[in-house]
Amino acid sequence: MDFYIQVLISGLLLGGIYALISIGLNLIFGVVRILNFAHGELVMLAMYGTFWLYKLYDLDPYLSLVVVLPAMFLFGVVLQRFILQPVLTTSGVMKMFTTVGISILMQNLALILWKGDFRAVQTFYSMSTIKFSGLIISIPRLVAFGAALLSIILLYLFLKYTYVGKALRAIVEDHATARLMGITVERHYLLAFGLGALFSALGGTLMMPFSSVYPTIGGPFTALAFVIVVLGGLGSMGGTFLAGLFIGVIEAFAGTFVSPGLKEAIYFVIFLLVLMVRPQGLFGMGRGTEEIGLK
Amino acid sequence: MKKYTLWIAGGLGALLLLLVPLYFKSTFVLHIYTLTFFYIGLTAAWNIMAYGGNLSLGHASFFAIGAYVGALLYVKLGISPWIGLTGAVAASFVGGMILSMPLIRLRGPFFTLATIAFTEVLRLIAIDWRDLTHGSAGLNIPFDLGWLNLTFKSGAPFYYIALALAVGSVWLSRWVRYSALGYHLRAAASDDQAAEALGVDFNLVQITALLISATLTAVLGLFYAFYSYVLEPATLFSFELFSLQPALNAIIGGMGTVWGPVIGAVFMTPLGEFLRFYLGTIQQGLNYVVYGIILIMTVRFFPGGILSLLTPLGVRFKRWIGDTGDNQ
Repeated sequence: MDFYIQVLISGLLLGGIYALISIGLNLIFGVVRILNFAHGELVMLAMYGTFWLYKLYDLDPYLSLVVVLPAMFLFGVVLQRFILQPVLTTSGVMKMFTTVGISILMQNLALILWKGDFRAVQTFYSMSTIKFSGLIISIPRLVAFGAALLSIILLYLFLKYTYVGKALRAIVEDHATARLMGITVERHYLLAFGLGALFSALGGTLMMPFSSVYPTIGGPFTALAFVIVVLGGLGSMGGTFLAGLFIGVIEAFAGTFVSPGLKEAIYFVIFLLVLMVRPQGLFGMGRGTEEIGLK
Repeated sequence: MKKYTLWIAGGLGALLLLLVPLYFKSTFVLHIYTLTFFYIGLTAAWNIMAYGGNLSLGHASFFAIGAYVGALLYVKLGISPWIGLTGAVAASFVGGMILSMPLIRLRGPFFTLATIAFTEVLRLIAIDWRDLTHGSAGLNIPFDLGWLNLTFKSGAPFYYIALALAVGSVWLSRWVRYSALGYHLRAAASDDQAAEALGVDFNLVQITALLISATLTAVLGLFYAFYSYVLEPATLFSFELFSLQPALNAIIGGMGTVWGPVIGAVFMTPLGEFLRFYLGTIQQGLNYVVYGIILIMTVRFFPGGILSLLTPLGVRFKRWIGDTGDNQ
C-alpha cells in the first residue's frame, strides 16, 4: 500500500511542474491564439540558462531565477514581436508552422552551441529527502511543487483582480470586442507571450536540481503541455492545474506498472479520446474557440 | 498548335528522365533522383488532404504502416512485396479510419495536433513491440536478388519504380483535384459552413481524402522500405523526415495546387541532401538551422509558395504562346 502512495506522491509532485509549464502554453494559446510548438524549447532554454549560471558563476539554481525569469520574459516578448506578430493575420495552421520553425531552429542552435551532452547541476540538496511515515519525498521536488502551486495561485489572482489581468481575460473571450473596448490587443499579446515564456522558464529552472538538460528535451514537454491544456480545457487555469496533476500521476503509474516505453503512448491516447469525446476539454469554456479549430 | 509545344517539352523532359540512369553511373546522383521522386509522391499524397484546408503532420504514420506491413509479410511469412501491397493498403485504410474518428470534430490546428498524437502512439508501440519490429535496433530485409523480392543489384530499377510512383501520385492528386471530390474539398477549405449549406458532406469528403492520401502514402512507404532495406521506428516514424518534410515541400512549392508539391519536392530534396552532407558534416544540426529559417521565412514572406511567385510569369508565358487561359 505504501508503495502505491509513494508512486502517487511522486506523480503529483511531477504533475505540479507539468501544470506550471502547461499554464504558460494555455496563456499564450488563449490570448494570442497561437499553438506554440516551441514551448518545450522555452523550457530547454531556461534550463540551459540555469545550468550555465551555475557552471560559470556558481549561482545556485534557485537564485538564478532572478536572472532567468526576466531574461525569458524578454525572450518571449521578442519572439512574439519580431517573429510571430508579422504573421498574425495568416491562418492558424501557418502560424503553427512558424512556431515549428522556431522549435527546429532553437533545438539545433542549442545542439551547435552546447553539444548533445546531458548537463546537470549538482547542489548539496539535489539528493536530500524527507522521510515521513515510511514515505520518501525528495526536497527539490517538493520545493518545485510548492513554487508551482504558489505561482499558479498568483497568476490566478493577477488575472482575476488586476486591470491588466481583466484585459487579458477579455481578449481570451473575444479579441475583436476587446479591441473595441479600447484594449491595446497587440501589446497584451506581447505580455501574454512573455508571461507564457516566464512560466515555462520557472518550470525548467525548478527542475534543474533533480534533472539534466539536453537539446531535444523540449519536444516531450511541448507534447505534454498540449495534452494537459486540451485535457484541462482552453482558458481554464484551474483545469490545467488539475489536468497537470492527473497526467503526472498517470505517467508515474504507467511508468511503474505498464512499460516505461509506453507511458507517453498512454497520454497521447487520452489526448485523442478527449478530442473525440469532449474537444473543449474537461473544464474548457468552449467560447470563442471555433477559430482555432474547436467547436 | 501552341498546345503541342507544351506536350513536346513535357515529352522531352520525360525522355531525359528515363535516360538518367544510363548516363549517371554514380550511385549518389541516382540516390538523389530516387529520393526526390519518393518525396514528389509523398508531397502529392499529403497534398490531397490539404485540398480540404486541414493539414496533417502525421503522415509518417501511414508511411511506416506501409513499410512495416510490406516488410513483415515478406520477412516473417515470405510473401512477395508485390502481393504485400494489398496488405499495406488495407492496413493504412484501417489506420485512416481510426484516425478519422477524432478528426471529424476537429478543424485547423487541432486537426493537425490529433494527427501528430496518432503518429506518436504508433511510433511508441513500434518501439515497444520488439518481437514484431525488433524495436529501436531495426528490422533488416534479407538480401535476396529478384524482381519478386524488390531487391536489385543496381540503383536503376528503383529509380524507375520511384519515377513511376511519383508520376502516378501526381496524376492521382490532379485527378482528385478536378473531380467532384476535389471541388467539394476546395469549397470546404474556403468556407466549410457555406459548403455544408450547399450540400457538401464535409466529414465524408474529408475522410475520403484522408483515406486516398493515407493509402497512397503507405504504398510509397512499402517501396521505400525495400529501397532502404532496414526498418527503424526512429527513421520511418520520424516527424522531420516524413511528417514535416512533405508539408514543408508543399508549403514551399505552393500548397493545394497540383504542381506546387512537385516544385517544392524538386527544390527541397536535393537542397536537404546537400545541406545534410555539406553543412551537417561541418557542424551537426547546422542543416536543420537552415531548415528552420526557410520555414519561418516562407510563411512570412511568400505563404503562397514558389508557384505563387511563378504564376505571374506563367500567365505572361501563356499569353506569349497564345493560350487564352480558358481551361482550368
